[in-house]
Amino acid sequence: MYIYLLKRLGLAVAVIGAVILVLFSLLHLIPGDPATIALGPRATPETIARYAAKMHLDDPIWKQLLVYAGNALTGDLGLDVFSERPVTAMIGERLGFTLALVFAGMGWAALLGIPLGCLSAIKPNSWVDRLTGILSVGAIAVPSFLVSIWALLIFAVQLRWLPAIGAGEPGDFSDQVVHLVLPAFAVGLGWVGYLARMVRASMLEVMGETYIRSARAFGLRPRKIVFGYALRVAILPTITLIGMGFGGLVSAAVFAEIIFSRPGIGKLIFDSVMSRNFPVVQGAVLVATALYIFVVLISDLVIAWLDPRVRESL
Amino acid sequence: MDTLLDIRNLSLEFRTPRGRVKALREISFPIRKGRTIGIVGESGSGKSTILWAILGLLASNAKVTSGEIMFEDRNLLALSESGLQAVRGEEISVVFQDPMTSQIPVLTYARQMFDILYRRPGMSAAEKRRHAVEMMQKVGIADPESRIDQYPHHFSGGMRQRAGIAMALLTGPKLLLADEPTTALDVTLEAQIIHLLQELKSELDTTVVVVSHNLGLIAELCDEVVVMYAGEVVEVGEVRQIFHDPRHPYTRALLECDPARIEKASRRLPVILGDIPDLAKPQTGCIYATRCQRAMPICRTDAPPVVGLTVSRFAKCHLLAGPHHDPQWPPPPDVLTVPMGESVAAPRTVGRAQGELLNVTNLNVQFQIMGPVSAWMRGITRRHVDAVLDVSLSVRPGETVGLVGESGSGKTTLGRTILNLVPAQNGSVTFENREIRNMAERHFKPLRRDMAMMFQDPVGSLSPRKSVRALIVEPILIHGIDCPDLDAEAERLADLVRLPRPLLARYPHELSGGQARRVGVARALALNPKLIIADEPTAGLDVSVQGEILNLMADLQAEHGLGYLIITHNLPVVRHISDRLAIMYLGRIVEHGPADEIFRNPAHPYTKALVEGVPNPDPDRRRTHVSISGEVPSLLRRPQGCDFVTRCPYAQDRCRIEKPPHSRITPDHDHACFFPLR
Ligand code: SF4
Ligand code: SF4
Repeated sequence: MYIYLLKRLGLAVAVIGAVILVLFSLLHLIPGDPATIALGPRATPETIARYAAKMHLDDPIWKQLLVYAGNALTGDLGLDVFSERPVTAMIGERLGFTLALVFAGMGWAALLGIPLGCLSAIKPNSWVDRLTGILSVGAIAVPSFLVSIWALLIFAVQLRWLPAIGAGEPGDFSDQVVHLVLPAFAVGLGWVGYLARMVRASMLEVMGETYIRSARAFGLRPRKIVFGYALRVAILPTITLIGMGFGGLVSAAVFAEIIFSRPGIGKLIFDSVMSRNFPVVQGAVLVATALYIFVVLISDLVIAWLDPRVRESL
Repeated sequence: MDTLLDIRNLSLEFRTPRGRVKALREISFPIRKGRTIGIVGESGSGKSTILWAILGLLASNAKVTSGEIMFEDRNLLALSESGLQAVRGEEISVVFQDPMTSQIPVLTYARQMFDILYRRPGMSAAEKRRHAVEMMQKVGIADPESRIDQYPHHFSGGMRQRAGIAMALLTGPKLLLADEPTTALDVTLEAQIIHLLQELKSELDTTVVVVSHNLGLIAELCDEVVVMYAGEVVEVGEVRQIFHDPRHPYTRALLECDPARIEKASRRLPVILGDIPDLAKPQTGCIYATRCQRAMPICRTDAPPVVGLTVSRFAKCHLLAGPHHDPQWPPPPDVLTVPMGESVAAPRTVGRAQGELLNVTNLNVQFQIMGPVSAWMRGITRRHVDAVLDVSLSVRPGETVGLVGESGSGKTTLGRTILNLVPAQNGSVTFENREIRNMAERHFKPLRRDMAMMFQDPVGSLSPRKSVRALIVEPILIHGIDCPDLDAEAERLADLVRLPRPLLARYPHELSGGQARRVGVARALALNPKLIIADEPTAGLDVSVQGEILNLMADLQAEHGLGYLIITHNLPVVRHISDRLAIMYLGRIVEHGPADEIFRNPAHPYTKALVEGVPNPDPDRRRTHVSISGEVPSLLRRPQGCDFVTRCPYAQDRCRIEKPPHSRITPDHDHACFFPLR
């Protein structure tokens, strides 16, 4: 177990290292002066000079890389080209919003999708199953930015039930929650479909296993068999899917954040790409990658916790 | 004596795309309190369907069309789902066939057993646990107090089945159903489980129903026997009556076909010709008429009378009463009533002078079990296990060598290594005096024509989308052999394995078990090989059919002088068809010699245990003790001295320190034991 943890952590560090390397070399592989490229066309000579000094651009390449990596790992992601605020602080302010969006999106998708999948699997080919099937495929097929736009138009513009843009007043929790509803809906909708389909498929498979028949032969209650036995096994592949899904959700969040004008990492990346604000892009991508790796690690650990066979083979 | 369960006139059908399959037809028999009933029959007989009908756990396309199942004073077929749920596990419980798949892998035994006891509100959690631990103790699990908190995969196969029995008996059911309780286990474990069931049944005074195709198990365990064929009960009686005085031709045939009952080693095995009738079609007359060795014209038109003295002793056959009564039937026990199967009676040509076809010398195969990093972190220096250890073996043209061992013996690995599918660390494998070990695939490919593999599960290993015709000639195409007329070739091969030509147009899932096996044989023969390596050629086949396949293989051998290496765990079967046997244990050959000599007079204690592990299909020769205890250790825990020392009843101090070398008794019989039994 500990060996496994060590291995996984080692792997995570290696991946992050690789990302740092890629981000760093991107800057240096493009012909021209790295400082000018990094800071974009609007940079003044002073900012370029300051940047060159800070990044040790006069030193040999390997030294620069070490400095960059060292800084990144200690939490110093450089300065915003325009405001000259630390990138770390900028990301820190927005990270919470993105995390809230992603977790709320995945959360409601799981709370709805998993039970729907179970229901479909218990009575395959019933009307519940067929309806869920059709809705799921529909939900998966519609891209989340379209869902965002439609949700915005219908619920915010037409019906005026929910606020259209922003993330809510700072400090006002209920206002923030209200602002979260539509984006989270848009981000999670496809996932309701995915999860329902996935859970249905694995539940159907597990319900056909011999040990489920044993549980029935021992007279256990149907509810116990479905939730205590079958779901216990069927949920495992779904957890992996959810873990990996966070990566996809971050990209869905980009659209949602743009459309709903929510401050967040996605919006930050978008804005800085548009304005060629390279240090911010670099920092945000790095943080997003680290987050993704972390979530996948967590989902693997949850599986190990639920499945003794996996736990011991670690 | 009171009747606990009374099955009356039960008929049941499955609705399938092919129509209604009448799986059970007018089944009636009583189960008396305190008795052990064996339901015996081959696949398709409906024996397991009866169990699921009792439990109300039939597949959703099943429909009971008539009859009742009276349990004490309730008709189980009329109970509501919640009424049945109250009976299941509490009053009627089950031991399942395969303990590897019938226990949920993610819950501990304590949890699973706790869940079964949910209907006992009066019991505190501590009491439930204590009760479960007691049960685990009773079924022979050492240190139950701590093992109960483990998961199924921590238990070996035999231990899992013991735990399965503990779970079934936990509630103290009035009726215990056992569905092929030992079929998934190795011979030596089967003996242990039979013994355990015998002990428990006398101790707990439960009524037991055992469903099995294994006549030996039925003879050892049961008081009464119900014989089923194609959805009907054909004969019922006390165990002695069934085994010593069977009246129905099918019962008689079944007993005659059991290789374990045939004392004399014989090259050919008796068979029941034909296939089980298609139950989707209406049946008239006697259900067994299409295969019966004594069928008469009337059998095809008129249903046979039920002839018997009591409800618990009857048989259904025209020969026993009425105008066609034959006082000469049944003939004395030593007369064979079924045929020995078709024979192309060419003389056997064991070419001892022709030199060896296959020769394996001191072969070693190691598997790496962990990467260098993990091993270093765990402080383990040896990163591999010996799957095959110092094996020497040879096959001559026209000769059959049986390679026998339980699961984990390395027999399959050895077969795969010979076929160059697994790399070997050292030693040599020669085929017609050419070294082929670890040969590059490009050089080996032409040799694959001469050495064919016959797979264990023919239907599973065949592509479901190809017709039988395409499958049979597939090897020819794979090897790019020029064949002007593939259709003619397919027909030639079909004739060779006696597969009716119309079947060439079918698909694998439309074949019966025996037919699918024939396709497997035809594929193996397609390239005119000299050597066939057959992995469990009869596993999963019914006794009445396995003789057909083995006889076919024997005929082909006689005609073409093939060499066979037969890999199997089934000692009674290979004994009849092999010239020599090699017994494997933990990757090593522990005894090797002429088949009959090894079977009659084994030198190695393990061979003896294997021979004695097979239950005797004779209720008068029940075993009273288990010849060896324990299970095959993991390869990771190979004992220091003799590999068998952990289980050997004859082990002495020397065995714990030194590995016994191979020593010869006669020039062609050797063993690896310090204290051989002969
Ligand atoms: S009734 Fe006829 S076919 Fe049926 S078992 Fe008796 S002899 Fe054979
Ligand atoms: S060497 Fe000893 S332990 Fe091994 S089989 Fe012979 S008697 Fe048994």
